[in-house]
Amino acid sequence: MAKALKINTRDNCAVLLADSKAGDPVEVRTDAGTIRLVARQDIALGHKISLARLEADQPIIKYGEEIGQALEVIEAGDWIHLHNVTCRRGHENQEA
Amino acid sequence: METFQGYRRPQGLPGTRNLVAVIPSVFCANTVARRIAEHVAGAVAFCHPVGCSQVGLDLELTARGLKGLGQHPNFYGVVVVGLGCERFRPRELADSIAAAGKPVEMLVIQEEGDTLRAIEKGITFASRLVEEASRQKREAFPLSELSLGLKCGGTDATSGLAANPALGWVTDQIVAAGGRAIFTEVTELIGAESILAGRGKTPQVAGQILTTIGSMEKRLSAATASREVRHRSALISPGNEEGGVTTVAEKALGGIYKAGTGPISGVVAYGQYPEAPGLYLLDCVGHDGEAVTGLVASGCQEVVFTTGRGTPTGFPGVPIVKITGNNATYARMKFNLDFNAGPIMEGATIAEVGMGLLAKVLDIASGEPARAELLGHDELFCITRI
Repeated sequence: MAKALKINTRDNCAVLLADSKAGDPVEVRTDAGTIRLVARQDIALGHKISLARLEADQPIIKYGEEIGQALEVIEAGDWIHLHNVTCRRGHENQEA
Repeated sequence: METFQGYRRPQGLPGTRNLVAVIPSVFCANTVARRIAEHVAGAVAFCHPVGCSQVGLDLELTARGLKGLGQHPNFYGVVVVGLGCERFRPRELADSIAAAGKPVEMLVIQEEGDTLRAIEKGITFASRLVEEASRQKREAFPLSELSLGLKCGGTDATSGLAANPALGWVTDQIVAAGGRAIFTEVTELIGAESILAGRGKTPQVAGQILTTIGSMEKRLSAATASREVRHRSALISPGNEEGGVTTVAEKALGGIYKAGTGPISGVVAYGQYPEAPGLYLLDCVGHDGEAVTGLVASGCQEVVFTTGRGTPTGFPGVPIVKITGNNATYARMKFNLDFNAGPIMEGATIAEVGMGLLAKVLDIASGEPARAELLGHDELFCITRI
């Protein structure tokens, strides 16, 4: 079973501590005990797994802070990365 | 009490190394400087592409960078090599080094006659300085005499979980002991500014932190605004992305762990040494070479460099301690890495691993060569430009 870590209690994603395959159960360590999820895609070590269903534009929270916003609906167990996250910081002048 | 073995200097903090720097005031003097250093064991040349035809702040940054380097405690003395017609005057550089109480010699190629005569004179100067330096012995100094540079490069998701928190633990120990620690990479602090401002020792410092990061974000926004360069507008690297880092804010939040948990005493400008103990933010970009050169030009006698992906780089005359939190990277690039913080990924505590890292930092400060020194890596000397 792959393990993952929820770094801050506010986070809505966790970091994989080992590679996981689509369909693998993932055990997430949190301050409040262990949560179990199923990875919906292959997710590599160090990459993020969503802990909840997130609507488009909802903030992605890691380290207790906003790191970007969801580009589309993200389901619990989804891989969170460049394909479904945007961050405008440092790009304010750029057209969408 | 924890100590390290260093070299006493006439002013300021002690050195962790005892070399002679050969510094060209302009790139036209590079070959002469390099050949001088090649002939003298214990001398190191700092070749660079600047010093000619610059104006305003760009020229000022070159001046501050080279002066900060020349005054650095790891160099017993300095040979300044000028051409003669350059905008950044070799005399200005030599005078600033002499003002720091250090032996300095200067030669100007156009005055010496030609390359051969300049090299010959430079070798005479450098060998005499090396000989004087060799008579000095290391002495024990407390942690309060250490100014540690904090840097990350080749970041992956383990950096924010293991390597940076372990380094942050070390930072807290050094600052608590009355030492100094400096972090920078302002291009990669975007998204962490409110947390950092909250750690400002005074409202003025908090304001300076917000202004420093805000100005850098404006620079980046302007640089990425044009459609033509849209494909080059990513603020993090492909390696960061492959390693699981998605956004610049995520990188920033993981990166600031290396600055520990204490108050931030101030913001230092490029080439400025902090005047008092504490934790400081240096106003410099995140480019590995420019940032490490900035840390050195602000007087850091040693730099700890965290890396998830692994990087071999080093700086001439200043130990760059490489640590990773990625066990696979440590296994793959072992000879480039000084310390593995990877056990944190498997449940070891940050304090346990931090204690081991502090011991390594002090051993290397005391003369144990960092891996980058053993392997002769010297890529990180790079003067910043605007």
